[in-house]
Amino acid sequence: MGTRFELALEGSDEVRLRAISEEAFEELRALEAHWTGFGEASLVAKVNRLAAERPVALDEETYALLDEALSVARASRGAFDPTLGALMARHGFRGDADAGAPVAWGYEHVHLDADARTVTFDRPGLRLDLGAIAKGRALDLLAELLREHGVERALLHGGTSAVVALGAPTGADAWLVALGPEPDAPRARLAGRALAVSASRGRVSEAGGHVLDASRGAPAPAATACVLAPTAAGADAWATALCAQPDLELPPALSALHRADAPEAADAPWRPLGAPTNDFLHPALQRELPA
Amino acid sequence: MTRSDRRDFLQHSLGALAAVALTPSLAELAPLAGRSDDLTVAIVGAGRQGRAMLQELSKMDGVVVAAICDTDPGRLKKALRRLRGLRGYASVEELLEKEADVGAVLVATPTHLHKDPAVAALAAGKHVYCEAPLAASVEDSAAIAKAARASDKVFAAGFLARSNPVYRLARSFFVSGTLRDLAYLRAQDDEKSSWRVASPDAERERLLNWRLDESVSLGLPGELGSHQFDAFSWFLGAYPTSVRGSGSVRVHDDGRKVADTVTCELGYDDGLRLQWASTLGNSYDGRYEVYKGSMASFKLAWTHGWMFKEADAPTQGWEVYANRQNFHNDEGITLIADATKLAAQGKLKDGVGLIETPLYYGLADFVKCIAEGASPACGAEAAHRSTVVGVAAARATVSGDEVAIAAEDLELR
Repeated sequence: MGTRFELALEGSDEVRLRAISEEAFEELRALEAHWTGFGEASLVAKVNRLAAERPVALDEETYALLDEALSVARASRGAFDPTLGALMARHGFRGDADAGAPVAWGYEHVHLDADARTVTFDRPGLRLDLGAIAKGRALDLLAELLREHGVERALLHGGTSAVVALGAPTGADAWLVALGPEPDAPRARLAGRALAVSASRGRVSEAGGHVLDASRGAPAPAATACVLAPTAAGADAWATALCAQPDLELPPALSALHRADAPEAADAPWRPLGAPTNDFLHPALQRELPA
Repeated sequence: MTRSDRRDFLQHSLGALAAVALTPSLAELAPLAGRSDDLTVAIVGAGRQGRAMLQELSKMDGVVVAAICDTDPGRLKKALRRLRGLRGYASVEELLEKEADVGAVLVATPTHLHKDPAVAALAAGKHVYCEAPLAASVEDSAAIAKAARASDKVFAAGFLARSNPVYRLARSFFVSGTLRDLAYLRAQDDEKSSWRVASPDAERERLLNWRLDESVSLGLPGELGSHQFDAFSWFLGAYPTSVRGSGSVRVHDDGRKVADTVTCELGYDDGLRLQWASTLGNSYDGRYEVYKGSMASFKLAWTHGWMFKEADAPTQGWEVYANRQNFHNDEGITLIADATKLAAQGKLKDGVGLIETPLYYGLADFVKCIAEGASPACGAEAAHRSTVVGVAAARATVSGDEVAIAAEDLELR
């Protein structure tokens, strides 16, 4: 994950809310240590080292994360693919590229054993990179922790690109989240749902942006996708999928916006994907912005 | 040979020299490598530390966490959700009765509640890893250490500097006289934290906030400082003979009586002084220890370590090619564990620290000692001595008086 997380909790007992948020950040640190693709100490690193040789046992949280990642990979026909670790390294997005290392990818080569709670790869050189879903899943787990403590109104984000809303702020029916710094940027209405944005212009290498098109093994065309979903993990993964392939069929519970980006010219206008919703406010989308 | 070839060659050569002479075995990363039988363990305490243990053990091949125990139903339920097949118990007695196949028990309860599970597990013939400090009182600590001494099983304590590869490497330099004459020692453990735990249930919340309960808590000097005091004692081969301290609530003015900011000064019988500070109000520079010698200094920060050589320090040649980091006006030589492996992988670069967490190495040492019948990095008697020092520092901080630590206080009687 390697990014800044912030929690805004609404309530009257500041001491208690601080204690709850500290517990949430402790949970976050543990999840990050477990799932990070950087270094050699995480469980994901162990999976990458050994899963092509033998089954690797997973804890329940990691099993659920991989299960959801593979589910989105199948539904998006590989537009989201959690096995792009070697490819990301080859394109210079992981800082540890080994020129001689084999580069393999393909979610269909990952096999979960639901009874044994293990994972295996049927192809050597495969490397998980959960960067496009782990941040969302971590936010979902933090939201669950807050709910267990009775917190009813809160906004959580990771790196400003994945957001979870618990309830809505007092006196409003939703949290309004602006999708960019521009005054006329669209706003997402969030109440008990999650939002994620994937933009290929965030980090770039010589070959292009960090969102990779698994079908070509190369950076996807410059674009930004924004997804509202019941969970942040789902929003996170689908935002990556739609950034690479905006013409995918959207699952029913999701709504999304897409924009083709032009680095040296004006960006194309935002366009909604899927069925019309009231989830986004923007003049171009024929929704009224609040004053 | 080009200039860069020469540099790479020398870096590899340096790595090889350092690794042969100074670094621990890479077997620590796979403590049960090559063994066919799994080690089955149980964890007592499903709080923050129990969860961390579960996470580190999940990365070790050949170790199976079979059961977990906690008196708090909420924490136990949460722990059981983390690993399929994990069996939960509300008492240590029940766990020990029903989990006959468990070979080792890891004690991660609040400090003042270590004694009963540790002694019971030893009595049941289990290997025991106990979090540090061993206890909140000298009497309880001695009871655990005596039970460990009477047992033929492995007993290891969680004073983690002793199993930390960075610290082992630094200590090898230290004992060879690299620092020469010690001027003074300094350490801090700062974090931004309330130390408070929330729970929907008032009575459970009171129990979970044991670190803020002045009737049982050793406060910052005992809970945090004892780990650093232990590191100094291990390097020096000597324990402090006196400690004085002061503490107050500077930041978290929420009704607590346990100080959130503390300073201590520990004295050694040769006149050496250790200045230690800790606050829960500011995280700048975190946790580290500094050894100031006439020829060099160490700054050891648990996952990273550096040596700063004085201008008149003798050179051994290899320093020219060592990995370095800048700190304001100084340049530190990075103390890198497993340098050979990292150099071979082309990863001998700035900012390199421990591959795993300090807790991983502590648990790996415990597991390896069980497999090989060896003595752990921190056994019962060493842990007892550092617990005594931590208790003395806590007493000195609360009372404001200087507390003497006599040699006989450190012995098991």
